[in-house]
Amino acid sequence: MRGPRVARSGGPVLAPPLTRRSFLGASGVALAAALTACGGRESPVSGSSSGRDTLTISAIPDQDPEVLARLYGAVADSASAALDLDVVYEPVTDYAAAVSLFRTGDLDLVWFGGLTGVQARLQTPGAVPVAQRDIDADFHSVFVVNTATGLAPAEDLGALAGLRFTYGSETSTSGRLMPAWFLQQAGVDPQGFPGGPGFSGSHDATLALVASGSYQAGVLNEQVWTSRQAEGTVDPAVVRYARTPGYHDYHWLLGPDAVQRLGEDLPDRVLAWLTGLPADDEVLELFGAGSFIPTGASAYDQIEEIGRDLGLVS
Amino acid sequence: MTVLERPRAVAPLVRDRRRWAWGLGAVALVLWSLAGTGALTGDVLNPAGLSQAGRFAAGAVHPDLSGDLLAVLGGAALVTVAYAALGAGLAVVLGALGAVAVARTTWGRRRLGWTLTRGALAVPRGLHEAVWGLLLVNVLGLDPWVGVLAIGIPYGAVTAKVFADLVDEVPRGGHDALRAAGASRSAAVLYGLLPPAAGGLLAYAFYRLECAVRSAVVLGLIGAGGLGNQLSLSFQSLRWPQVWTAVYAIALLCLLADVGGRAVRRRLAAPAQAPAGVLRRDRVLVGAVAGVLVLVGWSAWYLALDVRTLVGARAREQVGHVLAAAWPPAVDGELLRRVVALSVETLQMSVVAIAVALTGAVALSGVAAHPGPGAGPGRRVAGVAVRAVLLVLRAVPPPVWALVVLFVFLPGVLPGALALGLYTLGVLGRLTAEVVEELDPRPRAALDALGARPVGAWLVGTAPRAVGPTLAFALYRWEVAVRDSVLVGLLGAGGIGVLLSAETASFDWPAVATVLVAMVLLTLAVDLVSARARSAVR
Repeated sequence: MRGPRVARSGGPVLAPPLTRRSFLGASGVALAAALTACGGRESPVSGSSSGRDTLTISAIPDQDPEVLARLYGAVADSASAALDLDVVYEPVTDYAAAVSLFRTGDLDLVWFGGLTGVQARLQTPGAVPVAQRDIDADFHSVFVVNTATGLAPAEDLGALAGLRFTYGSETSTSGRLMPAWFLQQAGVDPQGFPGGPGFSGSHDATLALVASGSYQAGVLNEQVWTSRQAEGTVDPAVVRYARTPGYHDYHWLLGPDAVQRLGEDLPDRVLAWLTGLPADDEVLELFGAGSFIPTGASAYDQIEEIGRDLGLVS
Repeated sequence: MTVLERPRAVAPLVRDRRRWAWGLGAVALVLWSLAGTGALTGDVLNPAGLSQAGRFAAGAVHPDLSGDLLAVLGGAALVTVAYAALGAGLAVVLGALGAVAVARTTWGRRRLGWTLTRGALAVPRGLHEAVWGLLLVNVLGLDPWVGVLAIGIPYGAVTAKVFADLVDEVPRGGHDALRAAGASRSAAVLYGLLPPAAGGLLAYAFYRLECAVRSAVVLGLIGAGGLGNQLSLSFQSLRWPQVWTAVYAIALLCLLADVGGRAVRRRLAAPAQAPAGVLRRDRVLVGAVAGVLVLVGWSAWYLALDVRTLVGARAREQVGHVLAAAWPPAVDGELLRRVVALSVETLQMSVVAIAVALTGAVALSGVAAHPGPGAGPGRRVAGVAVRAVLLVLRAVPPPVWALVVLFVFLPGVLPGALALGLYTLGVLGRLTAEVVEELDPRPRAALDALGARPVGAWLVGTAPRAVGPTLAFALYRWEVAVRDSVLVGLLGAGGIGVLLSAETASFDWPAVATVLVAMVLLTLAVDLVSARARSAVR
């Protein structure tokens, strides 16, 4: 330490307990230390340590996130045991983010909806659909209406045209794409509802909004509708109006990076693991499936075509 | 110099004619916006939805306090704090560098260069943090840099502008003397301008940190992790008790940031008196700055930030991918027509939101302000209650308000505008209360002592002097509300955010580029109008 410095102006200066130079120096050292100390630490927001033997799985945030989180804990354990790899589940809160992260290689194996799977596959050359559930080959949506509309269940979608109507998420297959297509087939403009259609953001929000009457009608995933009815949480003001014909929906999509990193036989191994799950397995139960079955890109040609038609695939 | 100052005449009270024009213009704008959102015509209410809104409200009384959820939220809160600290820290660094580039002191009389660099700042500033987050996720993937940059870039641009203004507005005597004595330009700025501006710069840096907490929450909603992420997970399945637990956690963080930040700002405004003739550094301020620096260091360690991610080959490749996909921006007629129509809608939403927030803030400001020493217990309890309500209003993110308002209003632009208004009321209410607290209490006290009724004393003694700063804050929040309208739009509640959300969902990058350009232009226009109006009410 030097002695008291000469004052720059005014009276005498007491030497401050901490000089500016030592303060700046110390904080600089501390920051540099913190930044360099990061090496090797895993970030709490990106759990995947992109190790050579790590497979990162995820899912579009389509249903009950708590169930999804539980489900993917179970899936990660099951896959880890069957494939002899470290498996990490990475939650995603946004459909488009899931597609982008699959493209960037942050996610290796993702449970996509029909449309998001097509979007992800078109943006990620080399991605392969591996498997779907037994129920996904013949999936349905249900149109629901508020009881105040006085509509009785019917096959004619034309009656919905004059109602305030909400879809689910913009790129949901069961909450947007296929219902919009079936509406179009029935002669109803899918964008032409009074005031424009709403996008509630999730199947549960669709139910709540139709229950409130703000929207008089809506459409959602049949699986969610059935499970909410079984739980008894559906507001009595909401009733089922119609059920769509069947279509292909959810599937597991595997990215090219993972295949390159973990071996050419990875798609076969993943398929063998999924199709080999015993009937009473926890994974099947959480997915609401009887079994997983093989699938291929051609199963989603119709979805791609409709997606282009509605401007959702570019 | 011993020239005696002549006694100056008291400046005559004149009405500023510009204010009339601005006032009438504002009334017309509000009426036009109300008409545009359909508030003046036809049915807007949906009373049948009260039971759904009631479920939301019931969650406030019964938050989910299970140990698992609290543990998860505790971890998430740390992420949010780390994002806020690093984002604000980065903003201050970028702001300091940027301030050099946009200060009048740098450009002197070269107006063109100054105008151009100022204009360039409008691009990072015109996009909301959430939009930056959406774009960065596409480039950086799941990386903590997404959250840090999404706050740091737009905040950095705002900070650069404010820092430059603060340095430019400092009395220039010391600087000019140093220059005349032969000091170099940088030395003259460092020793002549920076010391007198330091208090203002530090106060603004702490204010940014307060705001960064709310922005960090919003980023969680688009998937960057933290409390917002947990809230969004519970929100998607409408688990209101869990949503409320997250809201209370957010409110607690906001409260800590507000109280701490305000204590520092007050200390800077009224420094502790040192003994005469002694220059001493304020230990409280040194402690606060050191504390924040430690927090920033810890955050970098906690999030495991790695600078290599930013300059790595993958980031370059992904930037290339997005830019190549987005160029050239789409210019087809139908898209442009929609962009214009939705920009107008966004403007109307923001005006209605500010009108609602300002009305609420003025009505509550008297009660929300911390009372003087002589206040009774009833007044104190009311003050605490109103401040708590304002805190919750700004802790619930706008998209959640949008859904709740949509339960009781018919779909359209109005529910989105009201949701934005409720959120803005939370922020503006607090700012207005601070304005009232910082007024000179003596005129009001004199009126009270003379026996004036409380309402009369408030109207005559308090209100007239609070009007200017309150309107200035309202105009400033209007600029923010235009940007925030993207948030309710992402959930489909109207405005240009709806289009952005649709185009990002279908990965139509050229259209996304067009929408982003429109957003920047819209916010730039609103900023210009607001700056003019603020100079008129000052």
